[in-house]
Formats: sequence, structure tokens, C-alpha cells
Amino acid sequence: MQVRGLVDSAVQEVGNILLGKEPQIRLALCCLFARGHLLLEDLPGMGKTTLSHALAAVLGLSWKRVQFTSDLLPADILGVSVFDTKDASFTFHPGPIFTQLLLADEINRTTPRTQSALLEAMAEGQVTVEGETRPLPQPFFVIATQNPVHQSGTYPLPESQLDRFLMRLELGYPHPQAERQMFERRHSGAQEIQNPQQCIDLEQLEMIRVEVSKVHASENLLDYLQRLVAYTRQSPEFEVGLSPRGALALLDCAKTWAAMNNRSHVVPEDIQAVLPSVASHRLVPSGDYAGDGDALVDLLRRDVDVIGR
Amino acid sequence: MNVLQQVPRNALVWIIISLFALVAPHVARLPIWVLAVYVIAVIWRLQVHRGRWSFPGRWVKVAMTVSGFVGIYASYGTLVGLEPTVALLLTAFALKFIELSQRKDAYVLLFLGYFICITEFLFSQDLLITLYSVLTVVLVTSALVALHQPGLNRFNRGTARLAGIMLLQAVPLMVVLFFVFPRFGPLWTVPLKNHTAKTGMSDFMKPGDVASLSQSADVAFRVKFEGAIPEKSALYWRGLVFSRLEQNVWSGLGYYDVPLSEQRVDEVVTSGKPLSYSIIMESTQQTWLYGLNYARARSAGVLHSSDYRLMSPAPLETEYMYKVNSWLNAPIEMELSDWRRKTETTLPPQGNDRTRQMALDLRAAAGSDEAYIQAVLNKFNQEDYVYTLRPGKLSGQNTIDKFLFETQRGFCEHYASAFVFMMRAADVPARVVAGYQGGEINPLNKTVIVHQFDAHAWAEVWLENKGWVRVDPTAAVSPLRIEMGLEEAMASEGSFLSAAPLSPLRYRSIPLLNQLRLRYDALTYRWQSWVVGFDSEQQFDLLHSMFGEISTRVFATLLLGSWALVLVPVAISLFFKRATHPVSPLDKYYRIFCDRMAGLGLVRSPGETPGQFAHRAIEALPGFKEELLQITGLYDDLAYAGVKDKAELTQFTRAVNKFRPDRRRGLVEEDITI
Repeated sequence: MQVRGLVDSAVQEVGNILLGKEPQIRLALCCLFARGHLLLEDLPGMGKTTLSHALAAVLGLSWKRVQFTSDLLPADILGVSVFDTKDASFTFHPGPIFTQLLLADEINRTTPRTQSALLEAMAEGQVTVEGETRPLPQPFFVIATQNPVHQSGTYPLPESQLDRFLMRLELGYPHPQAERQMFERRHSGAQEIQNPQQCIDLEQLEMIRVEVSKVHASENLLDYLQRLVAYTRQSPEFEVGLSPRGALALLDCAKTWAAMNNRSHVVPEDIQAVLPSVASHRLVPSGDYAGDGDALVDLLRRDVDVIGR
Repeated sequence: MNVLQQVPRNALVWIIISLFALVAPHVARLPIWVLAVYVIAVIWRLQVHRGRWSFPGRWVKVAMTVSGFVGIYASYGTLVGLEPTVALLLTAFALKFIELSQRKDAYVLLFLGYFICITEFLFSQDLLITLYSVLTVVLVTSALVALHQPGLNRFNRGTARLAGIMLLQAVPLMVVLFFVFPRFGPLWTVPLKNHTAKTGMSDFMKPGDVASLSQSADVAFRVKFEGAIPEKSALYWRGLVFSRLEQNVWSGLGYYDVPLSEQRVDEVVTSGKPLSYSIIMESTQQTWLYGLNYARARSAGVLHSSDYRLMSPAPLETEYMYKVNSWLNAPIEMELSDWRRKTETTLPPQGNDRTRQMALDLRAAAGSDEAYIQAVLNKFNQEDYVYTLRPGKLSGQNTIDKFLFETQRGFCEHYASAFVFMMRAADVPARVVAGYQGGEINPLNKTVIVHQFDAHAWAEVWLENKGWVRVDPTAAVSPLRIEMGLEEAMASEGSFLSAAPLSPLRYRSIPLLNQLRLRYDALTYRWQSWVVGFDSEQQFDLLHSMFGEISTRVFATLLLGSWALVLVPVAISLFFKRATHPVSPLDKYYRIFCDRMAGLGLVRSPGETPGQFAHRAIEALPGFKEELLQITGLYDDLAYAGVKDKAELTQFTRAVNKFRPDRRRGLVEEDITI
């Protein structure tokens, strides 16, 4: 099995650009291998866009980038039919969404109307413009970035739309060593942005997906998964528990994570590894609970028993 | 030190809480330095826990023990007796806490804690004290439970919940044992309390010595009548008879003062329906009991004396309940023996000459004994005699002269003493009777509450053809005292309960408070009559009425049978609970493995995966690396990798069964110390 090798080389390639963020890079790859869309949330200047560019390059996907602004309209993303005087007919001019990897920058700066146009495309894998349904290329990924919700000039995504993103990642400040390395590179004038090499082609991507589908999830593991899900629905700290879609997402990601580690079966560690990024944006704390989604995930990891009784 | 033997922090906190909870009810009886020992002990032990100080050395311990003994001796003047012994126990309890380092020390301490909880009952069996003791039992049990939760390093309130549940589960068994368990007589007697109760009756009376009578609002006894409650003015609770006057002191006749021929009492002829009632006495440390004359006890074990008193064979150290029949109008001792007549007319040879002379004059003028009594009472009533609780002291030898002719102020003792003196001076047999008069009727449960301030003294005079007749000279001076009670009689003087400013009795005018007080008293009565009063006799009666003849065999069967009755349903419910929740053998055995690891101080937290746990365990106990890897690997295969091999499952269960960590390895290599 060569999944791990492929993954390692891809992680290394991206890691050359985004220093010291290996866990996040792995999770981002896991999300894409599990055919999910990725939401990157952090303060400006933390490397969200850098990561998404590098991922596109490593996977060798055709990609387009849309900078979301408050006056962006659905047609600006999906495309528009223009009257061609030569043919005396309407010709469809596809928008930037017709690509394998769409980088939706600062998705929460645009209006809910435009957001929902994008999100429909994410869910269905197709767009409908002027009554005609057009399929999107395969594979189709969206990597959206957003600023933390409390920043000014943002339209926060509602829970129903957050649920469409398989994972939400936060990058966080770099490790001091990594940051130092960054300073030194800039100082030495070395070529800063090198385009990463493509490490995984479409064929290999398909192979990875086949491997993932072969991963075994045992009864014991599904029991644990169910206990986790049940806990989010019964415990008083949770206002909104995990939806069935959320639970499936958790399983898919855990299987992918197992495959990425060259394992043919899922272990509880896999679930715990992907749990924060898969669950934290889907969980809503109840009014009495002081913590946020991350705190709820900590609660889950700590209190739900791995071993059945 | 072995992790297994450590006292978890949670347990330490619970032990400290129970320590203070246990000593709290004793505080009023302890010298202040014992409390200081408690504070120092806790501070010391906490500093040890924080690693700042170390455990006391051998000589320090010896010094502390010796100074504990010396301190108790210095504070109480003795090491024998209930209070010094309990104080010694409490001091030892605090000192033991300082050297608490291992689990076994904690066991010793906590079991001693249960014992200390019981010592409180030697002083009081009040309802509130009982409730408080239940609380301390919960606390001590929590500490005991916490001792068995090695993983909990932070203070955890859930421990008390668990302890509470365990104690609740024990309640049915407790109830059964209460009814069925044999009540042994005391195996040894505890030395009495040092001082007799500060209020209440004493066995002598010296009226001139009391400048101002302070009363207490404590309850002396409670009475429950089987029929209607008689008039208050008929409630003369007779307790002591003072037949002897020497050096201005009235005292009763001792057992040996009465010649053998006089020990037997003539049968009193009773007629009509008796007044039946039961009395629950508070502990008095005295032997006398109270009753309405003429009283005949219905309970076994109550003695009748030759002057028609009721007596208990042993001092009352706890609440005591007895039942009495009384015939208020029965004539008593129609024939007076020569010895008795001589005893009841004897006066000191000299002193109080003016009174003697006046007595002789009045008797001569009256013509009959009855008329003479009336004349003396009229004198009290019509001349300037004052009933007061603050009469001032009477000094000198002739105190009765002084009282009758000079001060003319006094309370019941003065009047009773002077009256009996005058009777005897005129050769009329008479004696002073002390006891209680009246009582408060609790409308809630129709009991009569007799307080210490109801204490009273009156006279009995023997008349031809009438026998002993009760005469209350106080009633002639202050009729209010008898009809309305002390409070009304003292309304103008303001001396009622002046020494007890906080007694709820003083606030009777506030309806809500009064209601609460009476309700609590009714509750106390119920508690005393049902729980405290349940002695071997009542137990025997109850069991007898339910099961017929009681033999040892029946008793044993009953005991075991009732246990079975309580425990078998529990066992059955446990059995079915098991059956409805099948645990896969895999997880069951993994949990057994976890339990054994917990025994080594390594507790798997719920969210810890087997892999992470094994990793942590290997780091802490490298000596077990092989077994840990084997067990975890097998579990991983079976639980997650989808291996459905019977043989591998057997191998796993065997590996777990074989895994019996003790101090042989692992810990030897990396001993975990505090």
C-alpha cells in the first residue's frame, strides 16, 4: 500500500511553503480525500490562502480563485448567458465555479444570497443557471476561507451551511521555530514562493479513494461512534448535537485517516484525530455552557468512554 | 511508597471535612486548646501534602501524646469520667490525623470517626443531634468511598452522592436491625458525667441560701395522658420527700435511715378508674422518678419507696420512659406507725424560737389540726408575705424566724419549709415534698411538657382519718403561681427566665415561633417514644405479639430471615440487571485489565483509547511493557481489526487473567513515591 507514501510526500511538499503546520496539512488532505469541502477559518495573514494554493498545486488540480466581496452576485460565480449577435442566440459563459478546485476567499464577506448559490453547487455537484442544469467537473472541491465571525463586515454562515463543509480548520500562529525559519528565508532572499510539485495525480487520487472504501470499521468502533453522537444529543451542554450527516462525516474522515496511516481498520484514535475539525463547527453549546465548539469537542474526547460496558 | 497505599487528595479533603464535622458538636464541652490541636493538625497535614513539611518524628509524636494526656488532666483535673475520656479520644483523633500517610492509617482514622460519632449520643439523644450525626456519618462514609477512588485527584462532590446512595441502600437493613437486633445490656458502664445537671432537682433543700432563683427552660419530662388532661392545679408531680431538717437543710431519708420493718408500704386502697399516663424523662443522673400521688407504676423495673415515691434502680443516663397509674383521691397511709410519726415530727433541738412559740400559740387557738393548717395558711395569705424569685439571702442560724418575721419574701421553698416547721413545732406530722407543678400543654400532640422552671416544693400533712394530705402554702401566698404558672405569677417582677434570654419559651407571644417550638417539641416526643424509648422490653413485646414465644432459635431465625428478606430482592435485582446488559467478553476483560491497572495507580480516563493508555502505562511502569503490549495488541485486533478468531479471544482473556500486577516488578524498577 502506498497511500502513506503519497500522503507523506504531499505533506512535505506543502510543508515547504507553510512551515510548521503539518497536522493541519494532513487534516486538509484527509478532507479532500474524503471528497469533502474544506473551510479554513482564521485571522487574516495566517496562511489560509497559501495553504489552499499549495493544496491545489500538490494535487495537480485546475483551480480558480474568487475573492468574495459584499457586492459579489451569484452570476459572478456561476456564469451567465450572453446574447451572441453572430449566432443570434444565447451562449453560456461559465463562471469560475467550473473548475476542479475553487478557492473561495473570505466567504463570509459576501451576502447570504451569493453564499447560498455557492453552497448549492457544493452540495449537488452541479449548478442550475437559467433553467439548465450543468454538471461541475470531477473532482470538485471547494476550499473556503473565512475570517473569525466576530470581525466587522462579515455575514456569518448559518449552521445549515456550515454543515456542508466536511471540515473546518484553524491554522493558528506558527510555532516560534517555524516563524524564525520564515524570517530567515525572507532575510536571505531565498526564493520564497516556490510552486510545489504535483505529488498526487487524478489516478492516484482515485486509488486512495478505493483504499479508503476498503477500510474496515468494526462493531466496537461503530459503538464508540454512536456513543459519541448520543452524548452530543443527550448531554445538557449541547444545544445542537451531531446530525446524521455529521456522524457520517466523522466516519468517512476516520476511515480516510486510517487509510492515510496505512491501516486497514479504523481505531478510536482515528476518530479522535479528526473529531475537532469535523465536529467543532457543527456543535452549538447550550446557553448555560460557557465554552464554544472546541470546548464541547474536548468534553466529548474526555467523557465518552472508548470501551463499551 | 506504593501508589496503592497512597491516600488520594479527594479522600484527604473529605477526611478533613469529617474531622471538623465530628468535633463540632463537642465544642461546648472541650477546652479551647483541643480545637487548636485540630487546626494545627490539619495545617500540618496539608503542609505535608504540599511537600513543605514532613511527618512528625518519633519523639515529636511521643511529646504530643504525652502533652495531650497532661493537657486533659490539667483541664479536667482527672482522666476518668465521660467528658475527659471523650476529650482524650478527640485529641487522639486529631493527632492521628497528622501522621496519616497510608491507606491503613486512613482506615483506622475513619473507623474511629464512626465511633466518635457515637460518643455524641452519650451526651444527648436529641432529634437534631441525631440528624446531625446522620450527616457526619455521610461525611465519614464519603471519605471512606474517596479512599477507593484512586484516580480522583481533585475534590469531588460526587463522592458524597455515592456515599449517600450506599447509605440509603443500607436503610432497610438498618430498620430491620433496629427492630430485631438483640439489645444487650451494657457490657461496661461508662463513668458518669462529672457534674450533675446544672438545673433540676437536688436531693436537699436549703431555702436561706438562694438569693435569686435562676430557672432553666430545659425540659424535665413529657407526659402523655391516656384520657383527658387534668386541671393544671392538680398536676403536682411528686419526686422527692424531705423528712429531715438538720442545720437548716432539708433532706430525704436514705435507704438505711428507714428501719426494715418500715420498708414495706401498706397497700393503698384504690377505687375508681385510675389516671393513666406515660412519662418520658430526660436524663437526670438521678434515680428518682415523678408521678401524681398516689402513683403506681405499670412498667416493670420501677421501685416504690416507703414514702410513696417512684424510683429507678439506676441513675437515668439517657431518656427513660415509664407508665404510671394514678389515683388522685386515694387515701394514703391511714395508720401512721410510731417510727413514722416520730420521724415526721422531729425538729432540731434548738433554734427558731419565735416560730416555735407562734406555732404553739396558733395551735392552741385553733383547736384542731385542720383549723390550725387553715390558720397558718391565712397568716401567709393575709399578712404581708410576698412571692418572689429574688428573695435575698437569709443569714444566721434562725433562718425561718428571719423569713417569717423580718424579710417575708420568698418562693415555694421558703413557704414550704416554714409551713412544715410550724406543723412539726405543733406536733403535727408533716414533710416537704419537692417536684414539679403544672406544665405546658402542647396542643399539637396533647402532651404536657414539664420544664425545669416548673420546679416546686410543697407540704404534706398527716391528718387523722385522712392520711397524708397535700397542702401548698405557696398557693396561699400567690394563687396565680398554681393556677396560671410561674410566668403569669412573675409578670410584674419580670424575673421569669431572666437567666435564659435566648430560650424560645420567652418568645411565646410571637405565634409563629411558638407554633414552631411546639411542633418541634411534638416531634421530639414522637422521637423519644418511638425510637429512644424502644428498649429490650418493648422489643420483646413487639416480637412476642408478632411471633409468639421468643426463644433463641426463633430470634436467630428472625434475624437471619429479615436479613434475607432485605438482601434477597437486592441480589435478584442485581442478577437481572446483569442479564439485561450483556457485556461483550472482550470489553469485560479489558475492563478487568483496567481495574488491575487502577490498582497500580494508573486509571484509564474514559476518553483514553487502549493505545494511548498502553503508551502512558508503559512510560509509568516499564516493567510491564511486554504484557501491556500483548494485551493491548490483542484487544486492538479483536475490537477494531475485525479478527473474529475464538482462539485469539481465549488468548486475550488468558492474558488478562494472568496479568496480576503486584509489587514484584514495574514498581520495583520505578518506585512511585509521594
